[in-house]
Amino acid sequence: MKIMFNLRKSLIKLTILPILLVGSTAVLADNNKKNQPLLTPCYMEGLADRLMCGSISQPLSQNPADGNIDIHFAVIPAIKPSYPDEAILGFAGGPGQGAIDLAAIFNRNLQFARETRDIVLIDQRGTGYSNKLQCDSDDLQTQFAFNEAFADLPALGAQDTQKCKDKLNIDLSHFTTPVAAKDFEAVRKALGYKGFHLYGVSYGTRIAQEYTRQFPSSVITSTLDGVVPMQQSLAAIGEAIDSSLAALFSRCEANTQCAQQYPDLQTEFTALLAKLDAQPVEVQVLHPRTHETITLAVTKAKLFGAIRMALYSHSRRAIVPLVITQTAKGNYSALAGLMAGADMSEMLAMGMHNAIVCGEDWPRLNTQTRQQYNKTYVGSLMIEGLDIMCPILNVTAVDKSFYQPLNSSTPTLLLSGERDPATPASWAELAMVSMSEATHLVSPTATHGIGSQTCAPKIIAQFIDQKNMQDIDTDCIKEKNDKQFFMNINGVAPMHTQTATLNAQDKE
Amino acid sequence: MINLLKVLYKKEVMDASRDKRSVVAGLYYAIGAPLGICILFTLLLQQLASPDALKITIENSLSAPNLVAHLKNNDIAMATDNTDSKLKPIILQISDDYQKNMREGRPATVTLIADKSDDKLRKHIQRVEKTLALYNSEVASLRLITRGVDPQLMRVLAVEVNDQATPDSKGGMFLGIATLSMILTVFYAAMNLAIDTSAGERERNSLSLLLSHPLSSLHIVLAKSAAIATFSMLGLAIILVVSKFSYGMVPWQQLGFSVTITPSFMLFCAVVCLPIAFMSASLQVFVSFTAKSFKEAQSYVTMVLFIPMALSMVTTYDIATDIVQWLPIAAQQFALMEFIKGNPIPVPQLVLSTLITIILFGVFSYLSSRMLKSEKVVFGL
Repeated sequence: MKIMFNLRKSLIKLTILPILLVGSTAVLADNNKKNQPLLTPCYMEGLADRLMCGSISQPLSQNPADGNIDIHFAVIPAIKPSYPDEAILGFAGGPGQGAIDLAAIFNRNLQFARETRDIVLIDQRGTGYSNKLQCDSDDLQTQFAFNEAFADLPALGAQDTQKCKDKLNIDLSHFTTPVAAKDFEAVRKALGYKGFHLYGVSYGTRIAQEYTRQFPSSVITSTLDGVVPMQQSLAAIGEAIDSSLAALFSRCEANTQCAQQYPDLQTEFTALLAKLDAQPVEVQVLHPRTHETITLAVTKAKLFGAIRMALYSHSRRAIVPLVITQTAKGNYSALAGLMAGADMSEMLAMGMHNAIVCGEDWPRLNTQTRQQYNKTYVGSLMIEGLDIMCPILNVTAVDKSFYQPLNSSTPTLLLSGERDPATPASWAELAMVSMSEATHLVSPTATHGIGSQTCAPKIIAQFIDQKNMQDIDTDCIKEKNDKQFFMNINGVAPMHTQTATLNAQDKE
Repeated sequence: MINLLKVLYKKEVMDASRDKRSVVAGLYYAIGAPLGICILFTLLLQQLASPDALKITIENSLSAPNLVAHLKNNDIAMATDNTDSKLKPIILQISDDYQKNMREGRPATVTLIADKSDDKLRKHIQRVEKTLALYNSEVASLRLITRGVDPQLMRVLAVEVNDQATPDSKGGMFLGIATLSMILTVFYAAMNLAIDTSAGERERNSLSLLLSHPLSSLHIVLAKSAAIATFSMLGLAIILVVSKFSYGMVPWQQLGFSVTITPSFMLFCAVVCLPIAFMSASLQVFVSFTAKSFKEAQSYVTMVLFIPMALSMVTTYDIATDIVQWLPIAAQQFALMEFIKGNPIPVPQLVLSTLITIILFGVFSYLSSRMLKSEKVVFGL
């Protein structure tokens, strides 16, 4: 089959990335804390509240000659600081997202917990304000026009990787999870908190577990939302994507209106992918923002990548059947619209992302897992990509003990969404094998990161308050939160009025 | 002279403490006010906070199952029976042509029927409106995506709000009421004492006895004021301690702010209120002597205390004009509020108003001492 890998083309890149994102869509700090680093008021996008920002200097490596790296952090002050010695530490996903920039999302997911405790957000080394390791990315027009079917992808990929490596000019081995965990502990000490309640989302759950392993006495409770088990390679994500997509298809099939409007959706999608794989189409579309006519090379990777990104959000899932049938009919506007929103290359620090996957996920691949992950489209693309990129980046592999399940007696709450296209519920089960105080909650309809979609914020706050899950009513997590599919370009109203009232209720 | 004042002060304090019941009665306010405020606000908070599940009536709901599901995801459910206690008198009417308009890309009409003058209902109505607006933008975004347009185009401005408030400063009105209750303590805690030591002493005929001693009338007035001020400050100390503990128990954080009485605030409050206590004592003594009888004094003092109360109120409700902000009581209370919010203290206003307070204390004391030289006043003629 064709090799479809290119670092330069962000949209394609998204197809192969283990995208584990957070979210689908200050008061002068207490004076009584000792050794406060200088905190200055700051504001973050989408959050009106005043935060306190600061940084500490950390050695880049154990060799003093390598110099230091500034680790930046922000404190969202508690409404009523009833527990000034404790704070909630939010870990961002990606890998490659900066936690501070996501302050608004963390503030929303932890709104009830924040009533009595500060929220601390630390930009993991290589992300956000902590020496972001950013590679160049193309603009939308170049991405749209790039036809990976005609390009020499291994050569391009190697070339881009080398370019990025030269630009960053830093040993990426200093940016793996076990190294970064130490920065979080240093910030805890600098801010004077006795302990943290952890809240990690997606990749953030991996560093949360590593932090717990290295500094168990600093962790009071741990909430893992969209869990990545230490034993699992991110390359296994392909299965999660496929099953999330399968759930979407079967939900459409089970719904009378949807089945009527989009018959044999899955077959249609498979056929479309095969057709594009054999023969990509070059068409003219209007730029989603400038309205200029631009070229779009419709390829299997682009279509799959756009659909994959849509699986993260309930509102975008609602238009997936429409996008598939429109694309099959040769109308590519909907696909272009979906692709415009899926461009996240600016959000992720790709250098740091690559340091993690090459240092932690690539070295553990063996013949058996390679065979298993290669069965899925995204899994195979990822493995091919890693095989080109990682030898060039030359990140020192983490110690074998890193892959051991976390053995912990810390009260832990694991959260999963049944329709998660990244971290399925089975991953959480795998993560908790050696946790003695763990509770796993699964939301039947939620996608990735259920803290943004369900009543989880209330449960998290209660869990943090009482430090166990006893007597906490978790029924609300079972409530359905998915949306009806778009029946036409204007919305969910079905084409035939007669059937409308009859089939008003979603029969799923 | 200092010794003389000391002896006189001791006499006044002893006199006052003899009737323990009336002393305690005066201090009840200091204990009761913060507790009362706490109970009131705890009840108020329950009303303000929108309950988790809001139930409304949705007419013709079958025409818009997706909208109904969206409302339900935001904890706004359709009531199944009319007797449900959580059911609010809010009706959402979905038009008959909803589906047709939705399909054709025209605005589909939904009508929200509710009484917006009902204060208790307003918050719920806003919540429904907000949820409908959310649905609006969600579906509109998807309509644009399916046409190949980036929905970000609808956001012409990305308006970022940088709110300079802190959780402590957001308390606004609540802080005003809390500091109001503290300032009023200075006036009310020793009111009966002030009347008793002046008008009361005259009616018991012990005033003439006191004046027959070789003392200046100013000494007598100063000693009386000092004794009254002592009890006022005692009242203040009590209300500060009670406030510290009781306000800590109210779940203010549910409204997004906190009310914290710190030891440094307690100290600041005591220092700021000390001159007020002396001024209040001398004022009350003066008014009591102006009256002919005990009962008359009670009426006058109560009336006169409306002035400081009014000054305090305008600060509480933030309706003070530029000039009023420089007046005693108003300026001091404003300084207390700024301190508790963690904002810089308006020093010029505070200094000036404190000076005026001290001058007023001098004026009232002088006037009282002048009056005690008149037989008409001493014998209540």
